[in-house]
Amino acid sequence: MTRTIRLSLDINERRYEIDVEPRVTLLDALRDHAGLSGTKKGCDQGQCGACTCHIDGQRVLSCLTLAAQAEGRKITTIEGIAAANGDLHPVQLAFIEHDAFQCGYCTPGQIMSAVACIREGRTGSDEEIREYMSGNLCRCGAYNSIVAAVREAAEMADA
Amino acid sequence: MTIMEPRKHGSSADGAVGGRLSRFEGRLKITGEAVYALEYPAERLAHAVLIQSTIAAGLVTSVAIDDALAAPGVLMVLTPEDDLGLTVSADWQGNRPEEKPYYPLPRQVEFNGQSIVAVIAESREQAEEAARLVRITYAPQEGVASLEDPKAGEGKRLDQLSVAWGDAEAALARSPVRIEATYRTPREYHCAMEPHGLTAAWEGDQLTIWEPSQWAHGMARMYAEWFSLPVENVRIVSPFIGGGFGSKGQPLAYGAVAVAAARKLGRPVRLAVTRPQNFTSYGGRAATRQTIALGATEDGILQAIVHRGASETSVYADVPEQTGAATPILYKVENFSSESRVVPVNTVSPGALRGPGKNPSAFGIECAMEELAHALGMDPLELRLKNYADRDYQSGKPWSTRMLREALTQGAEAFGWARRSAAPRSMRRGNKLIGWGIGCGTFPVIRAPSEAMIRILANGRVQVVSGSIDMGQGTYTILAQTASEALGVPVEEVDVILGDSSLPGAAIAGGSMLAGSITGAVHKAAQAARDELIGLALSEAGSPFRDTGANTLAIAGGRISAREDGPSLTLPQLMAALGRDEIEVRRNTLTDDVQSAEDQKKAWTTMSRVQGPTMGDYSMHSWCAHFAEVEVDEDFGTVRVSRMVSAFDCGRLYNPKLVESQWRGGIIMGIGQALLEEGVIDPRNGRTMNANLGDYLVPTNADIPDLQVISVGVPDLNASALGGKGVGEVGIVGVAPAIANAVFHATGKRVRDLPITLEKLI
Repeated sequence: MTRTIRLSLDINERRYEIDVEPRVTLLDALRDHAGLSGTKKGCDQGQCGACTCHIDGQRVLSCLTLAAQAEGRKITTIEGIAAANGDLHPVQLAFIEHDAFQCGYCTPGQIMSAVACIREGRTGSDEEIREYMSGNLCRCGAYNSIVAAVREAAEMADA
Repeated sequence: MTIMEPRKHGSSADGAVGGRLSRFEGRLKITGEAVYALEYPAERLAHAVLIQSTIAAGLVTSVAIDDALAAPGVLMVLTPEDDLGLTVSADWQGNRPEEKPYYPLPRQVEFNGQSIVAVIAESREQAEEAARLVRITYAPQEGVASLEDPKAGEGKRLDQLSVAWGDAEAALARSPVRIEATYRTPREYHCAMEPHGLTAAWEGDQLTIWEPSQWAHGMARMYAEWFSLPVENVRIVSPFIGGGFGSKGQPLAYGAVAVAAARKLGRPVRLAVTRPQNFTSYGGRAATRQTIALGATEDGILQAIVHRGASETSVYADVPEQTGAATPILYKVENFSSESRVVPVNTVSPGALRGPGKNPSAFGIECAMEELAHALGMDPLELRLKNYADRDYQSGKPWSTRMLREALTQGAEAFGWARRSAAPRSMRRGNKLIGWGIGCGTFPVIRAPSEAMIRILANGRVQVVSGSIDMGQGTYTILAQTASEALGVPVEEVDVILGDSSLPGAAIAGGSMLAGSITGAVHKAAQAARDELIGLALSEAGSPFRDTGANTLAIAGGRISAREDGPSLTLPQLMAALGRDEIEVRRNTLTDDVQSAEDQKKAWTTMSRVQGPTMGDYSMHSWCAHFAEVEVDEDFGTVRVSRMVSAFDCGRLYNPKLVESQWRGGIIMGIGQALLEEGVIDPRNGRTMNANLGDYLVPTNADIPDLQVISVGVPDLNASALGGKGVGEVGIVGVAPAIANAVFHATGKRVRDLPITLEKLI
């Protein structure tokens, strides 16, 4: 297969015109064609959550999404969640504050899941946070701190 | 629900050593700006993919590559037919006995999942498609699938691992109370979230490799030896590493393939090892089996320990997983015997995985101690305290520091151990049986030299420069704290530059040896920089301090001042007065007799200057005690860890916030080991059947309760310059036995082979 297609992707409220083979995943399109390597590849099989980003505000696994499927929709990645003036998202701040990561490789996916988890209203208890953050593996084992960070960011969102 | 007390990130009060400074490089990681190895851009990049063997053992008789070569975008296919011109590299100690050729794509298959062929194409997708068109023909040979394969046999005894004192067999025979049992742990995997891989680029005979590395200097040396280059020609770049846990300390066959392909093509090559291929491209923890016999008096005084261990290894290297590593030093015992064997099977050579040796070893002895406690009718906490080791009976040396008694007693207090009802199956919550168990752990203090550079710039900023790495342990942060304290500048004025083999040499980030080593080097360099700055300020023309008559100056809060009412300048003001663009100071912690350039190179690129825990006057180790509560569903046999308290003696903590994260990380990996993790090997062909993160189960967020961690350590200045002992490895050691012991207490059923899954309980 050598044919490429031109895609016009709306990523973080910016337009990216990229030429890719139709089989290219959104994850690879972001990392290798759009220069947005904040979204991580941990398994390429939909099992680890490191590639989590948002399409139309909903969390998706970009390794199981073809780039072509995302055309015409709003894609948000870790590079796009801080405010326009550069202020960090409350979830990002909470992750630093609670030391909710070590190596940092699962972190963009955790944060994208956390932002969605709060928006979905799945932060009613620590148990609920744990359950709805369980699609994102963290081998360094920052789970306690991730729960604390999501809880705090959710409370700030409520306030 | 509790609201965490908000703390201001990076407050200078946290900047000194011992402060709870937030992760120094944190902003880069939470914005996606931290760049990992496979994310570096390269012009004319080609992509390599691996094809791995599908048999356990045999010969590759032919590789049909014509269809692959004809596929779109394909640039090259490498097979066992291609001599890549490589030479075997030296071992960890730097020993290189003979100039043997090295074939990273071998004709002789030694395990299932061994890389045999590489396809390189313009894009990864094209390389993957072409790889499916390659046809490999084998002449299979009989293989040994695993440690439990009947063909595996008893293996060979490693005499250097035999340990004995007293007369253990006789003392055991005389003991009125005896237990004996066999414990097993399965093959386990690192599963760092960042899969392995690299980008390699040649410029003439200069080689740059972007690859996650726990030891940039050592890996540069090994690549240089493979490719017959001076080590200076190889640069490993690794400022961020997406987890290692022991797996990223040496270059591997796929790395040789990618670098060789880049040289042949005259283009940069990227090779991303797929997640399934990660399970066989390097070794995880070997499967182990150990039999332990304990003898005691009726009042619970240990009389003898007899340990016989075996671990699997590959058919081409003897790599022991030392199940006798913790056995001799946890308890006071006058009669001891331990022997270890390795059993060759058709697997990739096992590697170091968090707490190597100590971890399965603690599973054995710590389960055995609770079995003895049960046989004696004694509280397992009391049994441990009763047999507390007052010194190291193996080496005969005193402990440097050993706060294990405090770990046991303070852990027990925080856990509420006194409320434990002794009999198995006597505690419950609804239909859940509740069990409590203890597991102790230890890991040796391993010391190594390092080098560091401090630069004071004209603008007053301070750079800490080191080739050491940070894979999440906190190297960036603690080095900023160390330099800040030693120099007297606010931590906000410090920059830390790491992760590059062209920078000053450092110990490996492994064996929990880096933090103690590199803080020592940075502390020494920063003190020297401070002395140099003060010396210049007192002597240079143009310095307002020159004629003050002061003998020395103070630096604090980024200001340099004469005592009393003398002048006071900021660092930029002083640098301007001195007319200096920068002051650069480089120091190392090697002894004076090994300071030649050749000695230094060897020290940074091999393990030849690494010192074990008993090489000085003391026996030095980190210690911990884990207290676990499990809930076991009586109907379904499902086990959940519902809470844990763990108390640690790791000496002085350079940054408790980051240390607590590492401890919890180790504990969580231990929970996975106890309940979830097991490489499942096909007995017919040695294939790893669950080589992915959906089938090889690592803990998820929902598997993990709140984990309380407690520090009971005191500074140990024999262990390191600033008083810390190792932190990263010890956290996992003792977790699995604590959980196994809790499961026994809950159910009355002793599971001696990990993981403890429901079918073993119902």
